[in-house]
Amino acid sequence: MQTNSSGGAAMTPLNVLIVDDSATMRALLYRVVGLADLPIGAIYQAPNGAEALKVLETHSIQAVFTDVNMPVMNGMELLREMARRDEWQNILRIIISTDGSRLRREEARELQVSLYVEKPFRPEVVRDVLCQIASVDVH
Amino acid sequence: MSSAKSPALTSTDQDALQSAVIEVCENAYFVFVETCDAPQFATLVEQVRAEGGRGPSGRWLHASVAFNGHSTGQVEVVLPERLGTWLVVSLLGLPADTTLQDNQLLDGVGEFANMVCGAWLSKANETASFTLEMPKVTRLPAGWAPDPTPTGDEQAYRTVVVNEMPLEVRAR
Repeated sequence: MQTNSSGGAAMTPLNVLIVDDSATMRALLYRVVGLADLPIGAIYQAPNGAEALKVLETHSIQAVFTDVNMPVMNGMELLREMARRDEWQNILRIIISTDGSRLRREEARELQVSLYVEKPFRPEVVRDVLCQIASVDVH
Repeated sequence: MSSAKSPALTSTDQDALQSAVIEVCENAYFVFVETCDAPQFATLVEQVRAEGGRGPSGRWLHASVAFNGHSTGQVEVVLPERLGTWLVVSLLGLPADTTLQDNQLLDGVGEFANMVCGAWLSKANETASFTLEMPKVTRLPAGWAPDPTPTGDEQAYRTVVVNEMPLEVRAR
């Protein structure tokens, strides 16, 4: 982890990937990320883990917001794939899920997840924490 | 909550279901939920019928989310289309007079049911992990209206008022 002592003033814009099978949740997160007091570059969206991997393969992404329960490839499978790739180790991993069980949270911790947000959530919680972790984790 | 379901409604499951609806409505939608009994619910159902006439706002939506894991079952939510529209518009911060596309409405109501189901499962059993199936949302036939009585096979059942409109939720 590297600390950005400039407090984010000279921060490179974050490219964000939102992974959720619900178009409504993707739209909500798109809005929340846009509200963050951060330089945001592009915001990509994917309806499942398999589509998310295609985006990761072809674009430079700094933060991934992912749901857990999704068809085709779920969020945990996506995170396991990400853990196997050296070039994706510095990507912020944020889970947004209805499943807030202890088991799932422990699994997430082992997969380098920076933040686990349980649905339902207040939009400002995601916005504030994104600002906080991005300022120390992203360089 | 268990795999061998009991026909009796336990107060714990009932309370957890009500708390789940309240948590979802207050945290994600910024709206307060009021409990209501069967006569109040019937009055609100009649209002929906009177205001909706034969138009789409008088129709009802049924959303269900099946779950697997420590136990299996499903959570069902029944609400007027007008309330469904209001919830989605509110969640996304859209202007109040926004007309949603049908897929937006059904997806948004499905997500509401998904959150209620997840919140209920988390409250009923904090340690158990679960998998939720994709929500299924259908528009009920014109003229259909809910009968606010438990059918007897539920683990939990509640009728509530959200933004002055009726909402029924049950877990089987």
